Amino acid sequence: MQLTAATAARPAGRRVRLSRAGRYRLLYAALAAPGVLLLAVVFVYPLLDLMRLSFENGSLAHYEEVVSGGLFGTVFWNTVRIALIVTIACAVLGYPVAHFLATASRGWALFGLLCVVLPFWTSLLVRTYAWMILLGNNGIINKLLVGAGLVERPLPLLHNEFGVLVGMVHVLLPYFVFPVYAVMLRVDRTLMAAAEGLGAPLWQVLRRIYLPLTLPGIAAGGTLVFILSLGFFITPALLGGGKVMMIALLIEQQVGQMLNWGMAAAMCMTLVAAILLAYAAFKRLGRRNAP
Amino acid sequence: MTKPFSGKTTATLTRRQLLGTGLALGLVGPAMAAEPPKPKTLVVNSSGGVVNRALRKAFFTEFERRYGIRVVDTSPADTAKLKAMVASGNVEWDVTEIAGQDGVLVERLGLVEPLDHSIIDLSRYPESVKHNKFLFPRSVYSTVLGYRKEAFKKGHPVGWAQFWDVKAFPGRRALRNHPVDNLEFALLADGVPADKLYPLDLDRAFRKLDEIKPHIAVWWQAGAQPAQLLIDGEVDLASGWSGRFYDLVMKDAPVAIEWQGGAIKESHFAIPKGARNLYWSQKYLAVMAEAERQAIYTNELGYPGLNLDVVKFVEPRVVPHLITSPENLSKQFFLDLVWWADNQAVAMDRWNKWMLKG
Repeated sequence: MQLTAATAARPAGRRVRLSRAGRYRLLYAALAAPGVLLLAVVFVYPLLDLMRLSFENGSLAHYEEVVSGGLFGTVFWNTVRIALIVTIACAVLGYPVAHFLATASRGWALFGLLCVVLPFWTSLLVRTYAWMILLGNNGIINKLLVGAGLVERPLPLLHNEFGVLVGMVHVLLPYFVFPVYAVMLRVDRTLMAAAEGLGAPLWQVLRRIYLPLTLPGIAAGGTLVFILSLGFFITPALLGGGKVMMIALLIEQQVGQMLNWGMAAAMCMTLVAAILLAYAAFKRLGRRNAP
Repeated sequence: MTKPFSGKTTATLTRRQLLGTGLALGLVGPAMAAEPPKPKTLVVNSSGGVVNRALRKAFFTEFERRYGIRVVDTSPADTAKLKAMVASGNVEWDVTEIAGQDGVLVERLGLVEPLDHSIIDLSRYPESVKHNKFLFPRSVYSTVLGYRKEAFKKGHPVGWAQFWDVKAFPGRRALRNHPVDNLEFALLADGVPADKLYPLDLDRAFRKLDEIKPHIAVWWQAGAQPAQLLIDGEVDLASGWSGRFYDLVMKDAPVAIEWQGGAIKESHFAIPKGARNLYWSQKYLAVMAEAERQAIYTNELGYPGLNLDVVKFVEPRVVPHLITSPENLSKQFFLDLVWWADNQAVAMDRWNKWMLKG
């Protein structure tokens, strides 16, 4: 259908001569059209509709309430804080994993990739419930700890922020590892060998060569993890025991329980704005430090 | 089918419908005789889990047998989804359970079709619900106190004042992450008599909730959680919906119910506004209104059907565990759904802020 639309730009009978590059451009546009159209219909249009809903009755009332209510602000900064902790944890845990994957022998790399990918393919809900079994009061970890006499009574691992962080890092780790891994594969190993040959200690090689060269990957992975964290719902709902309030939970409450969709839309748009800002910031970070 | 003697409601309702279509009164019979074509399936939406299993056993199979229309069940009972369906004109459900205390809300928002009392026989229902215009009175459910038997061998807390008493009854506790019920429980714990609860004194309720907050290990979100938390030993005491505990009690799980201070709510089914098979939706609710079928449902879940004849058909062993058995009923109170419909937004906002502070 889009192809016909594109060819229709060239009226029948009157042949317009196009350069080779022009024809290719037209072809590419035609090929991209279905995807673009799909996004426009299922993503851009609903988003605009949501924006319209947030200005219900043409007023800023919902936004005023979002800003002045106090609740949204507190929950928002709490969400940003949790997202930052998750991003940093993913970076600290994921960077060495990515390096291992990029440098290990074929067999080990394959095994490592499988370890990262398998949980990635498992349902989010299943993984969240698995953590409940592991972290619970009578869960496997606490039973082992108490049984071994290491702690007197079960540690509070579940139904608090710790549980939420563990669950979120687990879910989001692959999103950090893959972009970093992809960048690490392209790093010229001889640069590090040269630096070492010239007497640079390991940490200097890391700080002055490897880290800057892999920074675009870190920025990409960090962006993904941070932005996905901001919208997390199931994991905090199930592992937080109701004590960890994140922005998505607040929005769900407005949609599902209060049926106040204008308010929910205003919260969504504020979240979208925050995400765009975060994206721009990460993008600058990635570009400025790009080699 | 026997014609009910619920004369009045039937007559007024039909007359109004007839005025709308401009037909004469005498045409009711013939008009009804020509049944609209049968759809292949009828979609009944409810809260899912054990509830759907019981619904299938009690009503779905019977409806399928009688009319040859397959019943497809979906879940959960989601008022937001109902609102979205009605707003978009794409109504997927033929009949839906109305979640929790949303009955008044959906009626006010005009999200449901009127019940046809000439099809659905409510003549043997309690006076307070038999003339319902929009909400089919399915049952009542109660938020009660569930506890682990082994944690309280020397006696368990009775009523909310004792739930609040963490010295006499140590143990991990769970309450719902929602102001409904909890505000009432707090006031009861603070000594407010059950018949003086409404309008709720929010300040007093939250002050009392401050006391218990540090002792709540889990603020539960989903109806299935409290039972699971008790079985796993994650908590020793939990508020929860009676039907979810009933399942465990009947299976001899180490969990028991304390009825004292239970918060009873009506639960409803209704037909979404603009439902595609209106006539068959009404027919389905007619099956749900029958005492014999309700007894099967009651045996399964302990949520009593409201048809007054249902007691004739319920298994005797079930009776002591029913919300509406006289002994249990006297210990509980009825939640004021209208108060909640009017004040939910304020209470919710305050609840959220209260949850966030320290």
